[in-house]
Amino acid sequence: MSDLSVTIAGVRLPNPVMPASGTYDYSERHDNFFSPAELGAVVNKTIFLNHKPGNKPPRVYEAPCGMLNAIGIPTAGVKDFIENTLPLMRGYGVPVIVSIAGNTSEEFCKLAEIITETGKADMLELNLSCPNLNEGVEWARDKKLLYDIVKLISESTTLPVIAKLSPMVTDIAEMGLIAEEAGASALAVFNTYRGMVIDINTMKPVLGNIAGGLSGPAIHPLAVYSVYSTYKRVSIPIIGMGGIASWKDAVEFILAGATAVAVGMYNFVNPMIMIEVIEGMSRYLHEKGISNIRDIVGKAHR
Amino acid sequence: MHQTVTGKPPIFQAAQIVKIEKRHREYIYMALDSPYIALNALPGQFVMIKLPDADDLILPRPFDIVTADSAKGEIELVIKITGKGTHRLSHKKPGELLLLTGPLGRGITDFTGDSSIGLLVRGVGAAAVVLLANRAKEKGIKVVTFLSASTKERLVCREYLEPLSHTVFIATDDGTEGYRGNAWEMLDSFLDKTALDQIYTCGSRRFARHIKKLDSEGKTRGFVFLEGFMACGMGDCHGCAVKKAKEEGYFLVCQDGPVFPVGVVEIKS
Ligand SMILES: Cc1cc2nc3c(=O)[nH]c(=O)nc-3n(C[C@H](O)[C@H](O)[C@H](O)COP(=O)(O)OP(=O)(O)OC[C@H]3O[C@@H](n4cnc5c(N)ncnc54)[C@H](O)[C@@H]3O)c2cc1C
Ligand SMILES: Cc1cc2nc3c(=O)[nH]c(=O)nc-3n(C[C@H](O)[C@H](O)[C@H](O)COP(=O)(O)O)c2cc1C
Ligand code: FES
Repeated sequence: MSDLSVTIAGVRLPNPVMPASGTYDYSERHDNFFSPAELGAVVNKTIFLNHKPGNKPPRVYEAPCGMLNAIGIPTAGVKDFIENTLPLMRGYGVPVIVSIAGNTSEEFCKLAEIITETGKADMLELNLSCPNLNEGVEWARDKKLLYDIVKLISESTTLPVIAKLSPMVTDIAEMGLIAEEAGASALAVFNTYRGMVIDINTMKPVLGNIAGGLSGPAIHPLAVYSVYSTYKRVSIPIIGMGGIASWKDAVEFILAGATAVAVGMYNFVNPMIMIEVIEGMSRYLHEKGISNIRDIVGKAHR
Repeated sequence: MHQTVTGKPPIFQAAQIVKIEKRHREYIYMALDSPYIALNALPGQFVMIKLPDADDLILPRPFDIVTADSAKGEIELVIKITGKGTHRLSHKKPGELLLLTGPLGRGITDFTGDSSIGLLVRGVGAAAVVLLANRAKEKGIKVVTFLSASTKERLVCREYLEPLSHTVFIATDDGTEGYRGNAWEMLDSFLDKTALDQIYTCGSRRFARHIKKLDSEGKTRGFVFLEGFMACGMGDCHGCAVKKAKEEGYFLVCQDGPVFPVGVVEIKS
């Protein structure tokens, strides 16, 4: 059996597959599919410090080979998260990545500190790139905002920080480099593209929030190229995501330079997908006679 | 009593189409081989269906479980052809496979203390209440159905509901069958003479608003089956939100519903 384990910022993941934030809930609804203990890491839906109801519906709609979502990150706040979700995530025995966001840098920082203090998280993922919040420009789309927030949070936590980037920039590799210089230990590449659908009968936008983030197989080649070009510029590990619908899509990310991968919307299409990706990767390595997945990270560059 | 429970966790399987039949050009009546869902389905629950090898139609579609026969290991669905996915589904043949996830949503389990329920449904909304009528009848509860549609050919699930109901009242907008006019007028005159402990409604917002009124006046306890655009069907995506009526925030149709006490949700006009 080939070794699937990888290390990100000193944290060892038993395999490189995890859910993309916001697409997998830790509930008994998944009991017949697989246990999160089989994943490489567990990641929560982004939380904010305080309760937030989320956007008005409709929040999701199908797009060609993908979907638009304008969920707007409903959150019960950090207190509820620490009481109800975090212990569950910790209980699976795999690394815990806590995804956080803030409306202001103070709020963001405070949330990072509270999560750090619990001692129950292995890494923090900063969602700097949600396209569904209407409070100004996303952190990840402005060089200075990105640098400042990553630096501020990296300095106020002892946990390794993953910066989640936005594809809606001129040069994502440069944004990756900025996050690295600001102190990020890893990058999540990437969040969704903003898009919209108009109902030609009502002549109005379908989504309650007008626009939403596009994800799914439609964005996969864009995401693979983003990982590829970012890998050339940075020296910190990359978590690749965007449109993984099979183990083959995940292997492409690894070859492009990702150390680990996250599966997003396809969890909705096939609730077994993450396990199928892990098994498929394992078979692939075995058939290629590769003993260690780390040997093929970035292989497409060589 | 009206109580809903999460029930047994869903499975994800390739299910064979046992029977598929198109009726009146607009409807698909389909039976699927799924012993687990047939055994565990509760009234109010639904399944998600995805066409295999169709990534252009990527999201699974939600449909109510109309019948669940645990002896045969089969479930039946009644589907109105409305868009791309249901259109493509209508070309499927017996023996072909569909990807099926279920049972999903909270199921209705308890009728203690009730002796009668009413069902006020329109169009394909009737599909939501057949299993409920079935389980209620098994418990000796009287089921009174008010079935409505724009025209006779759109009276859906009539053949299922008739043997399960004490009475089926029929209304069509054009008078091609039964009463010509609003089904709730028939309900109202029924309620003038006979009480119904609970009324469930599906398929029409106007019906839902009417039941909300009857509920708030204390004439019955009203429940509504809601729809919402869904991606996952099991609480992962937070897509299927419906606004709460009494406080800030949203319910999720797939996790908290699809059937709700009519007073707790906002019914859009
Ligand atoms: C809990 C629940 C139970 C349902 N039960 C039934 C049933 O028993 N029989 C039946 O005929 N229909 C039922 N529906 C509605 C059915 O899901 C839609 O008609 C179907 O998804 C349309 O798919 P389409 O590809 O043909 O339409 P398209 O318009 O091409 O679909 C595009 C997208 O919108 C979604 N969508 C479109 N209309 C609806 C709708 N009314 N509700 C939710 N999503 C929608 C689709 O799922 C898809 O993601 C139910 C819906 C819900 C939420
Ligand atoms: C319904 C939905 C909700 C999401 N919520 C979040 C979120 O809360 N935080 C976040 O960082 N990303 C969120 N994302 C983005 C995903 O984590 C991921 O970056 C993106 O969807 C690309 O992956 P995919 O194509 O596999 O879905 C969400 C995506 C979807 C589809
Ligand atoms: S459909 Fe995903 S939460 Fe309801």
